[in-house]
Amino acid sequence: MRYDSITEAIGNTPLVRIDPAVHGLRHIDLYAKLELLNPFGSVKDRAAWHMARAGLADAVAHGSQVVELSSGNTAKALAVIAGMHGLSFKSVTNRMRIPEIKDLLLLLGAEIEELPGQSECLDPTNTDDPLTLFHRELSGLGHSYLHTDQYFNARNTEAHTTGTGPEIVKDLDGRAPDWFIACVGTAGSSTGVARVLREHDPRVRVVGLVAGKADFIPGIRTLDEVHEVGLFDPDTYDTMESVSSDEAIEGMLTLARRCGILAGPTGGAAYYGTVRHLQAWDDELTSGQGSAAARGARRSAVFIVCDRIESYLGYTRQRRPDLFHQPPRRNAVADLTAAEIASAGAIDTQDAQKWMVQERPLVVDLRSPFAYAALHIEGAINIVDELFEELVRGGLPFGKQQPVLLVCPVGEQSARYAALLTRMGHPDVRSLSGGVIAWRDAGAPLVRE
Amino acid sequence: MRHVRFQGGHLAAAVPSSPEPLSLEPRLEERLASLLRSGRLLHTLVDALGSPLNVVLPDQIAENAERFRAAYGTRHLGGQVFFAHKANRSSALVRRLAAADAAVDVASLGELQHALGAGFTPDRIMATGPKNPEFLWLAARTGVTVNVDSYGELEALATLVRERELARIRVLLRLSAFDGPGVRVLSRPSRFGSPAGELEQLLKAVERHADAVELIGVGYHLDTTSLDEKARALEGCVRAMDACRGRGLRPRVVDIGGGFGVNYLAHGAQWERYTSALTAAVLGRRPAITWRGHGYGLRNDAGTLRGSLALYPAHRPVAGDRYLDELLSLPAPSFGGRPLATLLLENLYDLYTEPGRALVDQCGLVLARVLEVRRTDGGEHLVRLGMKADDAGLEEHGVLMDPVLLARDGVRATCGGEPVGVYLAGSLCLEADLITRRMVFLPRLPRPGELLGFANTAGYCMDFQTSGAQHQPVARKVAAWQEEGSWHWCLDEQYWPITRPGGER
Repeated sequence: MRYDSITEAIGNTPLVRIDPAVHGLRHIDLYAKLELLNPFGSVKDRAAWHMARAGLADAVAHGSQVVELSSGNTAKALAVIAGMHGLSFKSVTNRMRIPEIKDLLLLLGAEIEELPGQSECLDPTNTDDPLTLFHRELSGLGHSYLHTDQYFNARNTEAHTTGTGPEIVKDLDGRAPDWFIACVGTAGSSTGVARVLREHDPRVRVVGLVAGKADFIPGIRTLDEVHEVGLFDPDTYDTMESVSSDEAIEGMLTLARRCGILAGPTGGAAYYGTVRHLQAWDDELTSGQGSAAARGARRSAVFIVCDRIESYLGYTRQRRPDLFHQPPRRNAVADLTAAEIASAGAIDTQDAQKWMVQERPLVVDLRSPFAYAALHIEGAINIVDELFEELVRGGLPFGKQQPVLLVCPVGEQSARYAALLTRMGHPDVRSLSGGVIAWRDAGAPLVRE
Repeated sequence: MRHVRFQGGHLAAAVPSSPEPLSLEPRLEERLASLLRSGRLLHTLVDALGSPLNVVLPDQIAENAERFRAAYGTRHLGGQVFFAHKANRSSALVRRLAAADAAVDVASLGELQHALGAGFTPDRIMATGPKNPEFLWLAARTGVTVNVDSYGELEALATLVRERELARIRVLLRLSAFDGPGVRVLSRPSRFGSPAGELEQLLKAVERHADAVELIGVGYHLDTTSLDEKARALEGCVRAMDACRGRGLRPRVVDIGGGFGVNYLAHGAQWERYTSALTAAVLGRRPAITWRGHGYGLRNDAGTLRGSLALYPAHRPVAGDRYLDELLSLPAPSFGGRPLATLLLENLYDLYTEPGRALVDQCGLVLARVLEVRRTDGGEHLVRLGMKADDAGLEEHGVLMDPVLLARDGVRATCGGEPVGVYLAGSLCLEADLITRRMVFLPRLPRPGELLGFANTAGYCMDFQTSGAQHQPVARKVAAWQEEGSWHWCLDEQYWPITRPGGER
């Protein structure tokens, strides 16, 4: 395969059969449409390219900025496409909750504007919702924008009626599957694909998957939020079902670990929702209900894997910390007993001042560099607690002959580390009781450098 | 949609296709729940003092202040919790707080006089908001802390102190429009505070007026429910404090304002079901559940939902002291990702908060008598109450919550049979005087003479905008407390933390 531009690599993604040993359906062949293999990483590459392409020449001529309300994958694709054409890209959103994607967008040169949160002191007569303000700015004089408008742009759907849909039919040897299951975000892919499949076979059943109202799965809307999407038409779907974030992660793990498909949680949700939905039908086919012709015939189902797993490590870690098990740590503060901490050497401000004159202990300030720089005990060195924790894991960071005074804001952290260092064999380490705050309140000197 | 079917335990609630009771039960903690169980007493009070009647619970506000204190405590933070007085006019609440470990922030001359008269010493009072010369003078005269709103105000205050030969006054600078690292956050522009970019100019003025003003800190007050926006502002304040220190000033306080929120509803599922039903009703997919199809900010644009829900998020699992705790645990990206609480603590800064609504959570109740129950031409039940819409202010603040129905015998009506949907109308001769624009589902149809209790209305709802329009009475207010297992009460202005009617406690 030889291409002149990366955009030519968009589309023509594989349709991969999921091993029945994994999904357990006896009469239904299950296929995953691997949209994660698009060059910028998601199904949104198709829509972004299809929507932007038409206006690019004009935008380049006017030096327009490409703008979109997007929380992730569409923005990612548009940022790349804009960059390839020498244009800047701005994403406006209040839905961007995946920090890795935010960072990636910044890396790609995108400008991100986050919409404000809801007002605490509500003014019910205020009709200016953030989106209205956004559209007002777009139509303002003196600005030049290429607004791709994914939630209302028919070319979003068209990318799938000309691409994704026909590809599925072609790979199923000219047939439509019996079921098509898609997560609903902009509704572009589900609407476009469903249209093509129904033209081939009106009997195809379309399942739309949404998230629970109080839940969050990246790229999926909730049952209420889908109504805010211009492309959403309830008649597209034979049924709408909801998937939880736990289920999405469960599905994601199955796809990654057992199928070798490194899908993100949206793909996981699609897989989980698909298998759950089809289970009942599969049982029905087994029990032999339905027409004689229906018995014995194999059925097929297709779901979409929207994007890749890598960006969602933080999302997953937050919900399933168990998946990120770490080996036990040596010399960890967390292992200390309350008794050990209580018996750690402590010294108050007055005695510490005398001790510092007589024994010249090493004073270690465990606060952040910013706080240390602002005000600290003269002669203290700064090792921020996070770093100190790493340091002591490998052993004592100073000789046993050297007395040490540990200092933190209120003497709590320093007491823990004093206990830890004592356990590690240091004979004379003390914690400043009450910390820097007590030191300051006692009128002892602090310096700023 | 050909048919809607929900599977899985997580979303059993499908969109209803026919009218059904859409309850929004108020969240009641033990003290307020107990008061509502004392229905006979409440009837006696309304019989004696008229409808509507406001009841406040001073012991609750002290308990709420303690919870905020505890959130400080777990993070070893010093500083003070200031009750934003504007949330409620009650004397009992302010006097009770004066006897607790709390402070008060006042936003007018009247509030300052009230706070001083309620027993707050100037070291526990902060003057905030827009100020007129008299307010500024009394603040400077008595030596309360002034939260300076603008450059002009700082100049005016310094001039006042100097010309009247008053003692040097403690000030905080209220900042706004914070910039931050990473992505740009579009915050709602505020009328209040000085842009953080003008700090330099403000600090020059502070130095110029060093004989008249002592800078003790900086702060912000953002009108948003977003933790991220507030975290960014807090980070901005720490940077501003650093700039102060860099000039040799020694401020100690970061004031993060209020806006910690209240969770009004007992059940999140009811809130989710209600807002889904409202969406469906706006889109014409179910019968209307609001007066004349009111959409609370939502509208139907050719089948697509437009606008935004202009409602207070009535079910908020994270509100009040828990919201504060969550905010303090957020990382500060420009300070190495240290949690904000750690950042404050390490820099030896004290924390000021100004909760209003959150501090009077569960502190009050508006009672109104049912005057008339009738049917409209459209066949809807209309219940007219002895109150005006502004007496409860729920609708004005977008707080949706069911009232509690108290029968004549004092017993709270419970859901035995089929709940009935009613619209609640006020006593003004105006079409717009609806207590709620949504259909409220009561356990049964109320009868004239019975009471409806609007619970948890002490924050902004109770008397924030009451008027004597049409010569209708403004609600009287009583304070109620529990002693030896029973409820006691007195007029709000008679309440003092040390005495009880009939003598000293």
